[in-house]
Amino acid sequence: MSRAYRITVKESDTRHLKAGDEICTQLEILEILPPEDMATLLKEELKKRGFEEQEDGTMLRKDGELTVKVDPCSGEVSVKAETEETVSQEAKRDATGFNDVGPSEKSLRDRVKDQLKTDLDKKFEQEQSRLQNKATEQLEKHLTEIQPEISEVVNQVTREALKQKAQQMGTVKEISEDAESGSLTIKVEV
Amino acid sequence: MTRAAAPPRPTEPDGPRQVSKFEFNLLRILRFMVGHFPADQGMQLVRAPVTRPECLSAGAVDLIKDTLSKACILFLVKQGAWRNDKYLRENTPAPGRVWERIPLEERSLFFSKPVLEFLLWATAEKVNDTKAGWDAIPQSLTAADELFFWLAFDATRADPDLLNVLRRKDVFRLNPLCWLTCPGDMVEGDEISLPDFAPMFEGQRAVLLECLQPHLTHRWIRSERMKGQLGDWKRMRQQGRAEFAALQAFLNAAAEAKRTDLARFVLRTNAALFTSELTPVFWTGGLQGSGPPRLADRLDTQRSALAVPRQMAMLEGWQQQAVNIGYFDEGYQASQMWKTDWEAANGNRVAARARATVEMLEPLRGPVGGTPTAGGPATPTDNPEGSPG
Repeated sequence: MSRAYRITVKESDTRHLKAGDEICTQLEILEILPPEDMATLLKEELKKRGFEEQEDGTMLRKDGELTVKVDPCSGEVSVKAETEETVSQEAKRDATGFNDVGPSEKSLRDRVKDQLKTDLDKKFEQEQSRLQNKATEQLEKHLTEIQPEISEVVNQVTREALKQKAQQMGTVKEISEDAESGSLTIKVEV
Repeated sequence: MTRAAAPPRPTEPDGPRQVSKFEFNLLRILRFMVGHFPADQGMQLVRAPVTRPECLSAGAVDLIKDTLSKACILFLVKQGAWRNDKYLRENTPAPGRVWERIPLEERSLFFSKPVLEFLLWATAEKVNDTKAGWDAIPQSLTAADELFFWLAFDATRADPDLLNVLRRKDVFRLNPLCWLTCPGDMVEGDEISLPDFAPMFEGQRAVLLECLQPHLTHRWIRSERMKGQLGDWKRMRQQGRAEFAALQAFLNAAAEAKRTDLARFVLRTNAALFTSELTPVFWTGGLQGSGPPRLADRLDTQRSALAVPRQMAMLEGWQQQAVNIGYFDEGYQASQMWKTDWEAANGNRVAARARATVEMLEPLRGPVGGTPTAGGPATPTDNPEGSPG
């Protein structure tokens, strides 16, 4: 007499998932002074804003999971978002077998285990995708926040460079700055 | 008007020549590849196998030679050789039509064995599905061979199966003309393996490039305008990256060979595109969906799409160099010619517009408190729904 039986297999796994996103761009630094002087000005301005100089000469600042890196020599700036999480997932499947004709319990269990492995992989893929979206969203948000700061850095460096250039040209008689319009007037006696 | 007498032509036969079925097919394939036979029928012939005979009849060989010589010359003349133009010859501008500027011995086309072998193979085999491999050593090809293989590739690339087979062959894969005209079709993945562009600026290959300038301009303008219809992000990225790499390598080789006149088509393409100010949407507006999940990939795709405007930076550098060359300096005449080309194309304005368009994509640019650019979250005015950002 044929008897049906049900087997239930459970699989669980824990994985450490990492996701990241990064954009690189070039700062618009005008060549008012020689490149090395412009780089020095940029470095100083970045230091004031919490950037730390690295061994390779680049300036780095970490804002939580986000890293902003500026190369003062080339003007290249990269903003990187990295996120990681340890994720545990569990999957469960049932299968029905028969004691007389049909696959044996062992082969049935192996087949279900393979299916569970695929299920787990899919779940981890979804988690990876979620983590990736999180990193990208963080990066996008941070870009919106950091853009005014970067623009201010560039403007400040340009202002300082213009002042130094004026000093090189002659005696600076008067400097007037309008913070609202961003205009800078320097009167030089040559 | 020629600088040397034309070689004597063989006498024409009284009536039509007799050819076998195979030879008839071969001649039709040849005519298809040089643009003298309907593409749909030509594609069918290339896809159909025919039993190959041991040899070709003398009549068929004569017809092949005749078709090759007349069709290729006609193509070159139609595409630009007829124009009364000015190109550099030994660093000095030489005016006139190509047959007035170049002596006959320098513009006579010589086709070698690989061309006939290819035609035999393409006729006998089902090209899209054959085990009989055929290829030739690219270094052994003459300038005329390269011209023919480019024409053959261009004629067949509309069929994805044929394209897949042909672009893997060295004779096409390392053909600079193929890379210069359809770089997007030369790549399969992200890996780009470029040919050496330096030989294009020497001897007969340079003459061919002179003839092809209007054709290249026309092709690139069409290709750029069609990019706005491209919906697939991956395809856009691959095509853009291939275009950027090919044009950069070409322009570097042109500068090295001091033949900036042969890069006119890049300048003219940009001039035709930037008759008004454009936003990146002109190139990327057709992209469907939100694109790759990573912002880095989206930005890379958008930057790649603007491969042609990005070349203006190098051309601007050439203009700067040309401006700095004095009357007694070497290359004065060549620099004057470049400056004339630049002014005719309104180079300064085109370069400024191209630069502005490229910069629109760059994140972290713009006024304090300004709206983020296309690399970051999208601005509604710049990007339609479903476009990058």
